[in-house]
Amino acid sequence: MSSQIHDHTPAADAGEVRPSYYEVMETAVRELLVEKTLIGAGEIRRQIEVLDSRNPALGAKVVARAWVDPAFRVRLFANGRKACEEIGITFYDDTELIVLENTDRVHNLIVCTLCSCYPRPVLGLPPDWYKLKPYRARAVKEPRALLAEFGTIIPDNVEVRVSDSTAMVRYLVLPQRPQGTEGMNEEELAHLVTRDAMIGVVKAGVIDLPEKTQ
Amino acid sequence: MNHSETLVKQLPTELGGLEAGPLQRVEHELLPWEKRCHALADVLDFHKIVNTEEKRRGVEALGSEIINNLSYYERWIVAFANILFAKGVLTPTELAVKMDEVAARSASVGCCS
Repeated sequence: MSSQIHDHTPAADAGEVRPSYYEVMETAVRELLVEKTLIGAGEIRRQIEVLDSRNPALGAKVVARAWVDPAFRVRLFANGRKACEEIGITFYDDTELIVLENTDRVHNLIVCTLCSCYPRPVLGLPPDWYKLKPYRARAVKEPRALLAEFGTIIPDNVEVRVSDSTAMVRYLVLPQRPQGTEGMNEEELAHLVTRDAMIGVVKAGVIDLPEKTQ
Repeated sequence: MNHSETLVKQLPTELGGLEAGPLQRVEHELLPWEKRCHALADVLDFHKIVNTEEKRRGVEALGSEIINNLSYYERWIVAFANILFAKGVLTPTELAVKMDEVAARSASVGCCS
């Protein structure tokens, strides 16, 4: 570590410390609600921990289970939320989860044109691009062109289905199991499933492995 | 359709099908206050104080100019304030006083808080 540079200019301090107008508003709203005993002081902290515990690895576990367990797959399509709860993924909100199956004939894509609804309990928070205009505007109008920008080319004989999420109904794409993965176990399969594959903007990938030497 | 007619006919959050440029494949880790704001949204929903659809409509009600100039969570917190005023949960004066208090407190703590 360098001992000579101790850049503690007042300007730098002021710039870093002063919270923005909106951050001040967030703190003020929260504290007022706590003072009025409408929410508990620890509830925000607890919910931050819940949010931090959610990430695409949970969704990948659901997908891998559906690939190896046909009975689970049936239950997953019947009621996405119940099937997720069955493998320990709790839903912290009132949302319904519909799981959409990609096949040789159908490719599914999810979007929220009005806002940013997303299957948060199983994927965590959405990426910024999911919340921005180009994705939301174009997903329902020119999904193939949009998918091409993700490097995903869907052949013309495959139907592209776009599902628009709402406050109460969320979707998750069940990607197709990649070819050549017959020998993989559930845990290995889960590693092939990315967040973007469960949004439907890419396919579940086969990770390039070095060729096996005999 | 002229600009004012568009504003009337097309809600600012109704983006589906509009002309738009190339995908902006951006992501960022939420700032601590943004994550707190998200958690606040969830907690308000749990307590049936403001649900997700009310929040969405609250953002829409900000109008296109505010929506276009504020970041995602900035819109949320402003929408929450408005909704809580409308429901009589908070008053604008209460919030203004509290915001002054929070700002003064943050300024006095200084570095390394």
